[in-house]
Amino acid sequence: MDEGREDKMLSDLFRQKLENAEVTPSPSVGANLMRTVGRREFLRFNPARINIWYVGAVAVAGTALAVILSSSPDQKPEDIQTPAQIEINAGSVVNGTDNSLSAALNNVENKTQTAANERKSEVKNRSEIIVNKKTGFNQTETREVATTEAGKVNPVPEKDVMAAILPENNKLRTNLRKDSYISASATGGCSPVKISFRCMAVPYDSCSWYFGDGGYSALCDPVWLFDNAGEYKVTLNVFSSGIKSVSSVIITIYPRPEAKFEISPENAVLPHDEITFHNYSEGAEKYEWDFGDGITSELYEPHHSYRRFGNYNVRLITISEFGCSDTLVIYNTFSTSGYYIEFPNAFVPNTNGPSGGYYTPKSDEGSQIFHPVFSGVTGYQLRIFSKIGMLIFESNDVNYGWDGYYKGQLCDPGVYIWKVRGNFMSGEQFTKVGDVTLLKN
Amino acid sequence: MMSDQQIIEGCAKHERRAQQLLYDKYSRFLLGVCLRYATDKAEAEDILQDSFLKIFFNIKDYSGTGSFIGWLRKVAVNTAITHYHKNLKFRYHIEIEEYVSVETGVTSFEEDFFTSDELYKVLNDLPSGYRMVFNLYAIEGYKHKEIAEMLGIDTNTSKSQYSRAKAALRDKLDKLRTLKSNYPAE
Repeated sequence: MDEGREDKMLSDLFRQKLENAEVTPSPSVGANLMRTVGRREFLRFNPARINIWYVGAVAVAGTALAVILSSSPDQKPEDIQTPAQIEINAGSVVNGTDNSLSAALNNVENKTQTAANERKSEVKNRSEIIVNKKTGFNQTETREVATTEAGKVNPVPEKDVMAAILPENNKLRTNLRKDSYISASATGGCSPVKISFRCMAVPYDSCSWYFGDGGYSALCDPVWLFDNAGEYKVTLNVFSSGIKSVSSVIITIYPRPEAKFEISPENAVLPHDEITFHNYSEGAEKYEWDFGDGITSELYEPHHSYRRFGNYNVRLITISEFGCSDTLVIYNTFSTSGYYIEFPNAFVPNTNGPSGGYYTPKSDEGSQIFHPVFSGVTGYQLRIFSKIGMLIFESNDVNYGWDGYYKGQLCDPGVYIWKVRGNFMSGEQFTKVGDVTLLKN
Repeated sequence: MMSDQQIIEGCAKHERRAQQLLYDKYSRFLLGVCLRYATDKAEAEDILQDSFLKIFFNIKDYSGTGSFIGWLRKVAVNTAITHYHKNLKFRYHIEIEEYVSVETGVTSFEEDFFTSDELYKVLNDLPSGYRMVFNLYAIEGYKHKEIAEMLGIDTNTSKSQYSRAKAALRDKLDKLRTLKSNYPAE
């Protein structure tokens, strides 16, 4: 073929001309290549080819190391200010439902002492000696540090548990600074919790608070919202006539036991169906159910049968081991309940004779009887008309359908009109009109 | 003058002198290969440099039994294919349909009518996909199945690209011939 020969000639032309053609590269290509090769070979360490570069690199590295080592002793860390670091770890739990986390900051020295006595076994005392380098006189200051272990206190509403440990150690030395300047409305709670802090230093020039969760405040009496569970170390830096004092307190935030539940069956029909409450709550140890009809339960996943139809508000309160609680209420739980009535648009009557019209969903698998699917229907009237408007069937029982016969005679295939009236258990009325096709096998 | 064998042994020992000799001896030939796969000489030189790096660092892979120059050519072709894949996304916009229907009455090409420079130019101007397939099939002599594997395309794609490449080349050569006939070189 011409085409094929021509193709071959074209290919041949290029092959013969170009297969072994030579093109002179630019001079820079060779130079570049050799440089790249040199670089790659250098990076590819080859012990058999120790050259001046390796020796040089080792020498440089050694020198650098020596310089670093010799200079490090000079870099002594110098503390300019002596932090008086006091940790008060007095944990207490405030009832999560108690919203009166007021900023009322009373002097609760007495309360605190009482509380401390009550929890004496949990109180540890330790001392530490801090050498004050600033004065240069090796003057020693002794600080008493009270570390109060977190004590578990059951939720007591109305009683403000104060964590403030007010300075009590003035007896030590007259020139001592106060140990902790933090006063907090609570040292814990259920998330989210708002805690008021107060700087107890008098006088002070400025304050800076670090709340341990990344938050910061320059106010002296800030209010902070902790919205995640955890242990936070709240630190206060007080500047008073040029002296910085550091105080800190541990705030413990407990997680909220999130209340979650679902109801089954969906679209339940009251009072017919028994309702199962599926519990998906997390972190709780106690459950309080209120089904809305005056019945309560403390089971984890209760079942309940309502006595009559109605709109009920179902409430679940979850309570955690820390005394935190959460509430979920589903209002009008059964408002979308499944009351319905639907009709098919065709059926195939039994040609062997009238079947009577009574059916169950099982007995009428072949759609031999015209009947609705329904739920929660109490009152019911079904009428079926022929195309010319003649009434050929009537039923006042929802369980009684049309078998396709009129006066013992099978009706002709074709379209028939139906009309239904009635009411649901909820009292709601319904009226529907439609048509159905009678088919013949 | 060192023989190929000596040069190969020297390169295996990473001797700079042997590498230089290898480059001097074969760079023109390999650039001739690379230029067929490139859009211009600069790209061809890039491929050439990458090819030589592969050759220098993998010269131990050369078994010594086959033709050395064939091995070099294979490395260069493979490098060109890698290069083509790397740049594929930048070339996607090239419209290929403009070459599809080409009518030509020319039935033969005289070998000596076109210079190799002109043929290179014609090849360089082809869309990359056509150029790859044409080179690999018509000049390197690979089968369409092998080409499809190398380029990661369908066998039928390779075939159709090849026939479109030929049509495009014919068209370009016809124009070039007309041009040359009208304005013959002195």
